[in-house]
Amino acid sequence: MLLNIAAVITLAVTQQTDTTVPVRPGMRLDVDNFGGEIVVKAWNQNSVRVQATHSSRDRIDVQVGASTVSLKAESRRGLAQMVEYQISAPAWMNLNLHGVSTDIEVDGAQGAVTAETVNGEVKCRGGSGQVSLKSVQGAVKLQNAKGHIDVYSVSDGLTLENVSGDISAETVSGDISLEGIESASVEVSTVSGDVTYEGSIKDGSHYRFATHNGDVTVAIPDKANVTVSVATFNGDFDSSFPVSVTNTTKHRFTFTIGSGNARLELETFNGDIRLRRPGQLHDKHHDQEDN
Amino acid sequence: MNDTWTERLSEYIDGTLAEAERGALEAHLAGCAACRTTLDELRRVVARARALDDRPPAADLWPAIAEQIGVSSGAHHVVSLAERRTRRRVAFTVPQLAAAAALLLLLGSGGAYLALHRPPLTGAGAIAQRGPAADLTTSPVGWVQKTSSRYDAAVAELEGALEQGRASGRLDSATVRVLTQSLVTIDSAIVQARRALAADPGSAYLNQHLADTMRRKLELLRRASALAPART
Repeated sequence: MLLNIAAVITLAVTQQTDTTVPVRPGMRLDVDNFGGEIVVKAWNQNSVRVQATHSSRDRIDVQVGASTVSLKAESRRGLAQMVEYQISAPAWMNLNLHGVSTDIEVDGAQGAVTAETVNGEVKCRGGSGQVSLKSVQGAVKLQNAKGHIDVYSVSDGLTLENVSGDISAETVSGDISLEGIESASVEVSTVSGDVTYEGSIKDGSHYRFATHNGDVTVAIPDKANVTVSVATFNGDFDSSFPVSVTNTTKHRFTFTIGSGNARLELETFNGDIRLRRPGQLHDKHHDQEDN
Repeated sequence: MNDTWTERLSEYIDGTLAEAERGALEAHLAGCAACRTTLDELRRVVARARALDDRPPAADLWPAIAEQIGVSSGAHHVVSLAERRTRRRVAFTVPQLAAAAALLLLLGSGGAYLALHRPPLTGAGAIAQRGPAADLTTSPVGWVQKTSSRYDAAVAELEGALEQGRASGRLDSATVRVLTQSLVTIDSAIVQARRALAADPGSAYLNQHLADTMRRKLELLRRASALAPART
């Protein structure tokens, strides 16, 4: 009963803001939010529509400058707390989104995307150029992006699907999964979590996958030319295809596939390292054979 | 050393103090040897930072430090040449500057060793030059131990900055808890790596792994201490 009353009171004091401003190509959208969510969906109009649900004590300040549209909430009493933004923006618009206790979601962006939150998830479909997604407490998921990719979390996992370009992905506690990757430079590391990679291994490129506590599983394309360095302290190595080790030191060994033109570093302190063929990444058959 | 002017030294270096404050600080400096020493140290740090021309803005020293000690900063974007050439302002808190100072000192010993001895990790050109048969196992041995005291000092300073953030309410308790748990996770990894290295000090992998994990801790602390004061 008390909850119902609280819900009614909450509904009674919420307010909707709905405003649309024209924008020109090259402008950037800046959103700064404390709590709630920021959802940005691309549309094919040269304008930004802001729909926000917030306390009646707050108002949404929309500033249109020469090169930016800036959104933030201001409160008549104290600090603005919770705002749920639903924003429609041109696909070409660069996005600069910041939150504290805020979930951030972007859909259909074709420009640069920066999305950072302290407590919340970050999901982005699209983006090109510089794409930087970060959360302290929350998972980060990126799909269908290209450019210079930088994803980071402290306490959750990272997922990248159908992404191309230089990639840096780092978390402390969480798995990192990359699939459908087209890249000449990939740097991935977690302290506690598994790492999986399925994507290109291009000649002359560099890939590094590292974890402390976790397994590393990488799919090697059939015609890859790569020199592979494998290092593990407490773990095993398994490959679903034959390899010939050429250089062995304690805790590390090296072998070459094809001409060995690309460079692949695989490291785990406590965990196994597995090489698979494309399509075998989630193949339980091979993993059961390991046990 | 920590008096009311300590926290203003960064602004003094930046030239952002009001004229009256600047005069008062200079009068204080005339009679405070500790502040003069700190100021000299900070100026050296700033000079070193500014000398690193091809580096991201000085609001974040870590990429430059990471690059110089030969480890990947990972989460930092590549800046344009024009952006790189933009003259940087230096506006750190004293704990950050002290941490940076400790890290820059680290560059002078083990870091330099690492930079000189570790093959570059990135870049197709580098790979092509080294060739497919290049030794992927080359790594410094023992630099971590040589520099651990300075690393510890840097960590302590950044932890202090993090504690300040917590105490001032800039970081909520849930965030602090997550950060603390993550630091415990990293510390556990560091302990394991140290133990393994103690048993096998010649292992290039273990040396590099320990260095990477220590770098992760510094990186997390740096990010945590830099977490924005959410409400302004």
